[in-house]
Amino acid sequence: MTQEHTQSTYDIPRQQEPSAPPAPAGRDRYLDLLRSIALVRVVAYHLFGWAWLTVLFPSMGVMFALAGSLMARSLNRPAWGVVRGRIRRLLPPLWAFGAVVLTLLFVGEWSPSRDPDHGGVQGLVELIGYVVPIGAPPYPAHIGSPSGLLEDTWAEQAAGPLWYLRAYLWFVITSPLLLWAFRRAPWPTLLAPLGLTALVGTGLVAVPGETGNAVGDFAVYGGCWVLGFAHHEGLLRQVPRYLAVSCSTLLMAFALWWAAGHQGPNGWDLNDIPLAQATWSFGFVVILLQYSPSWRELPGRLAGWDRLVTLSNNRAITIYLWHNLLIMATFPILDLLYELPFLQSATVEAALDSTYALWTFVLVWPLIGLAILGVGWIEDLAARRKPRLWPNGAKKRAARQR
Amino acid sequence: MATRTRRSRAATGVLGGFRRSLPMRLLLPLLALVALMAMLMLRGYVHSEVLADHRVQAPVASDRVPDRILEGGPVIDTRGGRSQSLSLRDHRLVLTFDDGPDPEWTPKVLDVLKKHDAHAVFFVTGTMASRYPDLVRRIVAEGHEVGLHTFNHPDLSLQSKKRIDWELSQSQLAITGAVGIRTALFRPPYSSSASALDNRTWPVTKYIGSRGYITVVNDTDSEDWRKPGVEQIMRNSTPEDGRGAIVLMHDSGGDRHQTVQALDRLLPKLQARGYEFDTLTEALGAVGAHTPVTGIDLWKGRAWVFLVTASDNITAVLVVGLAVIGFLVISRFLLMLLLSGVHARRVRRRDFRWGPPVTEPVTVLVPAYNEAKCIENTVRSLMASEHPIEVLVVDDGSSDGTARIVEAMNLPNVRVVRQLNAGKPAALNRGLANASHDIIVMMDGDTVFEPSTVGELVQPFGDPGVGAVAGNAKVGNRDSLIGAWQHIEYVMGFNLDRRMYDMLRCMPTIPGAVGAFRRSALERVGGMSEDTLAEDTDITMAMHRDGWRVVYAEKARAWTEAPETVQQLWSQRYRWSYGTMQAIWKHRGALLDRGPSGRFGRVGLPLVSLFMVVAPLLAPLIDVFLIYGLVFGPTQKTIMAWLGVLAIQAVCAAYAFRLDGERMTHLISLPLQQILYRQLMYVVLLQSWITALTGGRLRWQKLRRTGVVEAPGGPVPRQRASSDDERRPVG
Repeated sequence: MTQEHTQSTYDIPRQQEPSAPPAPAGRDRYLDLLRSIALVRVVAYHLFGWAWLTVLFPSMGVMFALAGSLMARSLNRPAWGVVRGRIRRLLPPLWAFGAVVLTLLFVGEWSPSRDPDHGGVQGLVELIGYVVPIGAPPYPAHIGSPSGLLEDTWAEQAAGPLWYLRAYLWFVITSPLLLWAFRRAPWPTLLAPLGLTALVGTGLVAVPGETGNAVGDFAVYGGCWVLGFAHHEGLLRQVPRYLAVSCSTLLMAFALWWAAGHQGPNGWDLNDIPLAQATWSFGFVVILLQYSPSWRELPGRLAGWDRLVTLSNNRAITIYLWHNLLIMATFPILDLLYELPFLQSATVEAALDSTYALWTFVLVWPLIGLAILGVGWIEDLAARRKPRLWPNGAKKRAARQR
Repeated sequence: MATRTRRSRAATGVLGGFRRSLPMRLLLPLLALVALMAMLMLRGYVHSEVLADHRVQAPVASDRVPDRILEGGPVIDTRGGRSQSLSLRDHRLVLTFDDGPDPEWTPKVLDVLKKHDAHAVFFVTGTMASRYPDLVRRIVAEGHEVGLHTFNHPDLSLQSKKRIDWELSQSQLAITGAVGIRTALFRPPYSSSASALDNRTWPVTKYIGSRGYITVVNDTDSEDWRKPGVEQIMRNSTPEDGRGAIVLMHDSGGDRHQTVQALDRLLPKLQARGYEFDTLTEALGAVGAHTPVTGIDLWKGRAWVFLVTASDNITAVLVVGLAVIGFLVISRFLLMLLLSGVHARRVRRRDFRWGPPVTEPVTVLVPAYNEAKCIENTVRSLMASEHPIEVLVVDDGSSDGTARIVEAMNLPNVRVVRQLNAGKPAALNRGLANASHDIIVMMDGDTVFEPSTVGELVQPFGDPGVGAVAGNAKVGNRDSLIGAWQHIEYVMGFNLDRRMYDMLRCMPTIPGAVGAFRRSALERVGGMSEDTLAEDTDITMAMHRDGWRVVYAEKARAWTEAPETVQQLWSQRYRWSYGTMQAIWKHRGALLDRGPSGRFGRVGLPLVSLFMVVAPLLAPLIDVFLIYGLVFGPTQKTIMAWLGVLAIQAVCAAYAFRLDGERMTHLISLPLQQILYRQLMYVVLLQSWITALTGGRLRWQKLRRTGVVEAPGGPVPRQRASSDDERRPVG
């Protein structure tokens, strides 16, 4: 396996011009594939909660790096327009999601002004997070009753991942500045977020409240975002591969060592260990981008996944926004299984119990498919494209073949 | 050299299927490693390095324990919903020994018991019983009773029912495996007297009863584990007023000589007072606690005990192997540092001369097979040579117009000889026959010389005893990871290994990329041979046996391109290591020869075999123990030890880089080399061993024609592979 892998990566001549953007028609399928893997990993992690998944594939770091690379590419155009365009594309899907979640919350008689965690006028102000996620949107820790249709922590589960949008927004807004800094002083800009993480992610310097969360996430993933710049600007290609890979490995070894000594409530879950997350993701992304082969098409056996990769990339925001709420929704659906007449025996029940998470994982994908059908088109509207129901690239391909 | 083989493979195509199931060649080595690892795991398991749980429950209230149990005797029967307890009659004493069997103290306890004709009960743990089945056998054979004391001694009140079941069945399995019986007696770990039962331990006791066991606690604690002195143990173990008692002692878990001594005096003393020492069931007048086991359960037990014994033995062998490899690695590094330092000092002295300067023109042989892309560079680099040369390109039936390219260059002093494809040794022999001069330089079709290379390479021939000279091959494409690893390997191989071998007069290989031979010496040993896959090693060994010196010329640098893919690298190294084994085997007769041949056979050959064929075979142990140490601990010590070995390697590598004047930056990939590249190298070697030990030996001479050896390497781009084989950094 390793050989096949290395073969394919080595054989690709790295002749791509450093600063020339790839032709708009052909997306880099390698990066698309990475994004798809990252999305699947995120869903699996939120479902199973296995800490080792964060080590196996640091999804968030990869996603921020890919976004950073695209951002650098777009910033060849005037910055203001680019930032505005990015925000315009991001917000409508969030509004749709926020409308559903807030409706459910208000039906559940949640009042942000009376929530003990938020409280008063501030709670109402924080609600703006559902409109423009400068800060992560507020949500109640518990709503409904534990015996209700959804677990009483559903709001936290559903809205928890919204921190990603806040971080993304921060990165988009600061990107013109970051890119300017990166072009002036590439290495300090690249490494500064790691230094910042060492300060704010280890408790050396504490920033309170939501600002603290925002600064922390910005620092942890800033390195990956700027790595995206470095990938696009060709800086990574200037570093000999052996040097980049060896240094990344050392950095990742440090990450593991740090994580071993600073384990959180879930052990090795890097999401609880900022410095380990930042360094591990950074090293991982360097290696992924260092071997970046710039595929026009998915090669070999991967080609069979082409449509799913296209679809997940076209609907990345939708999938990311909705997946956790949908995971919540699988539970009441799966519980119906227990009611089925032909499944009424102790052994079947035990078998269902022990494979419950697996069935959740199976069921969540059709639900995500439904969400794509239901609200995915908002992404197209936000991008000022014609709304598409199921953009898996099949039609385009068929048209090309004709 | 591999021209012929490659062709035959392409023609037959039979091996395509083999190639498709690529992991096949990994399967055997991998299987061996996994088996080793599994054995180590089993060992860690029965040595309580896994699953060990040393937590002890703090005492809690006992209001839910029936009073008649709390106030009753130490034998608690909760089978079948009962809850009754039994005490011993007066002048009955049951000695119980916990935590054994122990290889040192249990036999002594047994000896004392036998001496005084006493019987006792041994509550053995599953781990110890698995490791010392012979002792369990002896205990039962000498009329004592055994009871369960769980598998690895956890506090059962903290465990789930599942775990309790497992503890019971697993220790029962060990006892069954050892003596073929089941026992009905059980003593919970950390137990004392019946009055100490509480709301946490009572349900466990009831549960164990429901599994069919009688729980035996004690009423007289010798407290021998405190080592209070023989007198005190005797006092603790003596019941008042001739009452019956169950006495707790230990035959394991540390130094138990006080227990043994106390026992030796206690037994006659109490016997004099009318005490009888019986097994529990004898003392209670009940049916024996042992029931024989037959059928599948017996065999399961035996298999378990066999596996544990095997894992212990294998681990012992592995530890010896690790010590051997550790010693070999370290001593090799020290020897290399020492000898290469001496060598460098000697040849770098200002007044150092091999002999009179060699200025006579020499012939440069360039065997080429489909080298169209590189041959022009190669020949042009030779044209810049500062030493007078004649260039002879031997085209071995190329199909890409290699010969025409050279002819079209229309250079003076460059001749092209064509032959039908016949392999590299044949090409070299043909070149030799056409050469005009007495010194022959050999190089590859894709190697580039510096202007001074030829001159530096032939200077050692000023010494009439020198028959062949190895140059210094350098990796040109060193920016990729795999290139950087090979660069480190080459620099170390040429600056440490070769200098060492030079000093020890047993350099095993003149690299095909840059080497020089005295024509008369070549003719004496019969030229190049096709007997092995590594004709360069073969010829070098033949030189040694003929009494010629083979030396290293550090300044004769040649630039080559190292394999860029794992597959090419695999193919190259497979042929090297297999070829080296063939060459060693071919020249094994030197071991018994007289004169220089015998010297090489008795010094050089064993040394080369040790460092190149045997040591790498043991190298996987380092990784096996690294993983074992990381998983079962001590994690920190394991990592430190590994880093220590890495540091030694880094020092050696840095020294080699300094000797060669190379920039140190590439050393940053040394740690990664140790966890990715080294393993690849030994898997390749293992593969060669397997080939040699299976079909390979039958076809020893014909291997090249069948192409079997080539197959595992898979397809190799032609222009590169034809010469990859010749750039041998080490040895």
